[in-house]
Amino acid sequence: MIRFNNVQKHFGDLHVLKDIELEVAKGEVVVICGPSGSGKSTLIRTINRLESIDGGDILIDGHSIYDASRSLNAQRQQIGFVFQQFNLYPHLTALENITLAPRHLAGLGKQEASDLALGLLEQVGLSDKSRHYPSQLSGGQQQRVAIARALALKPKILLFDEPTSALDPEMIGEVLGVMKSLAHHGITMLVVTHEMGFAREVADRVVFIDRGQILESAAPQAFFSNPAHPRARQFLNQLLSPLHLAGETV
Amino acid sequence: MSLGGYHFDWSAVLSGQPLDWLLHGMGVTLELTLLAGVMATLLALVLLSLRLAGPRPLQWIGAGYITLFRNTPLAVQLLFWYFGGVVWLPESARNWLNAGHQLFGIGFPSTELLVGIWSMGLFTAAFLAEELRAGVRAVPQGQLEAARSQGFSQWQSLRLVILPQALAHAWQPLVGQYLNLLKNSPLAMSIAVTEIMYQTSQIESFNFHGIEAYAVASVIYLLLGVVLSAVLTSLNPSPAGLRSNRRAD
Repeated sequence: MIRFNNVQKHFGDLHVLKDIELEVAKGEVVVICGPSGSGKSTLIRTINRLESIDGGDILIDGHSIYDASRSLNAQRQQIGFVFQQFNLYPHLTALENITLAPRHLAGLGKQEASDLALGLLEQVGLSDKSRHYPSQLSGGQQQRVAIARALALKPKILLFDEPTSALDPEMIGEVLGVMKSLAHHGITMLVVTHEMGFAREVADRVVFIDRGQILESAAPQAFFSNPAHPRARQFLNQLLSPLHLAGETV
Repeated sequence: MSLGGYHFDWSAVLSGQPLDWLLHGMGVTLELTLLAGVMATLLALVLLSLRLAGPRPLQWIGAGYITLFRNTPLAVQLLFWYFGGVVWLPESARNWLNAGHQLFGIGFPSTELLVGIWSMGLFTAAFLAEELRAGVRAVPQGQLEAARSQGFSQWQSLRLVILPQALAHAWQPLVGQYLNLLKNSPLAMSIAVTEIMYQTSQIESFNFHGIEAYAVASVIYLLLGVVLSAVLTSLNPSPAGLRSNRRAD
């Protein structure tokens, strides 16, 4: 469904994505992990062209996303994106945040859009917050509204860019719970996260990326029990026991 | 009442012909301020979209316009358009403007008033556009990214997501610019627009009661300013979400 063909990207002298080859099947849940600055956020942002690429190609359902005959805005409507900082629209209520795209992009009437939004809010467990503004919601609630907003146009693909990194620890669970409930219901999900529990439990595959290169792509079981690449091993050690000094082996 | 030998006579200003002149002047000041304000607002939105979303050459034109109109005196601009601008119009148009007409039962603005509206609209638009742009820049980049990632076009993102927030950020400075427009309007007397100050100086030469006339004019400006400021402030579009950071529960 999504295919990276030898994708290259530079930020000035920095080769931030290097020879990326990746294929994600329809409905698959892929967790992308790696040290900070490794290029994992950039990788998923190339899929809806929030970041451009310098070489190679990205195909969705066999069509290049750079095909000039296909409208960028129409392509983006098929891809929901969830940001680390939520990026809810602060001047709109939770309900209006969700109805904005259905009303102005899908041409839904006010009532229709509102029904849709209420259904989505219920799905993320926030039916009672529809009239609240983002500033009146906790971080975890905001991120759940943001997920509902990303679902509003019934996308085929959902991209998560460190969705729990800006949250207080006690709110991470509610967001991961919503993400888990979405997995394996047909939507293809790419999740950049450090939540290895989520990866282990929900992902079909874990992709490890470092210094712009995909070093490992394996089922969670294999990845966590026996990571093939030394840098993946090191990364996991640091993540699972943060007090270990970098480079120290167990 | 007498002060330093000067005998104050308020009835010399607040009755008879001087009062008629002042009331007429107040009407003209309001007409000038409101129409120039509407023109400046529309033009400022055009300038803003040019600067934010236009192709490069149009962005430069927008920036050049703002530099030119913000950095030259309004008094010069008024005289430029009056003496330098009107002559470019075809003679038939000039004759038509000078002839006087009725529009919706009220007098069509005189050539002087039209040039006044035109000049002050162009001048004020440059300031409004800059306040709006500052408001847009105060909206976090993530807002545009969120809107574009949903599939909104650049223009839809601006209209539905960025501008409502920018307007809320920029509202108080914008109110200040509309007040400046009111307070700049006396400059139009230099091209014989019969607004408040024009009438005041006419009273001064008519009966030498300039002190009373200027005092009354000041009070009129003060009242107009207070009302304008109150009305505009009450129209503040800041939605509840931007106004408070209180938690609901």
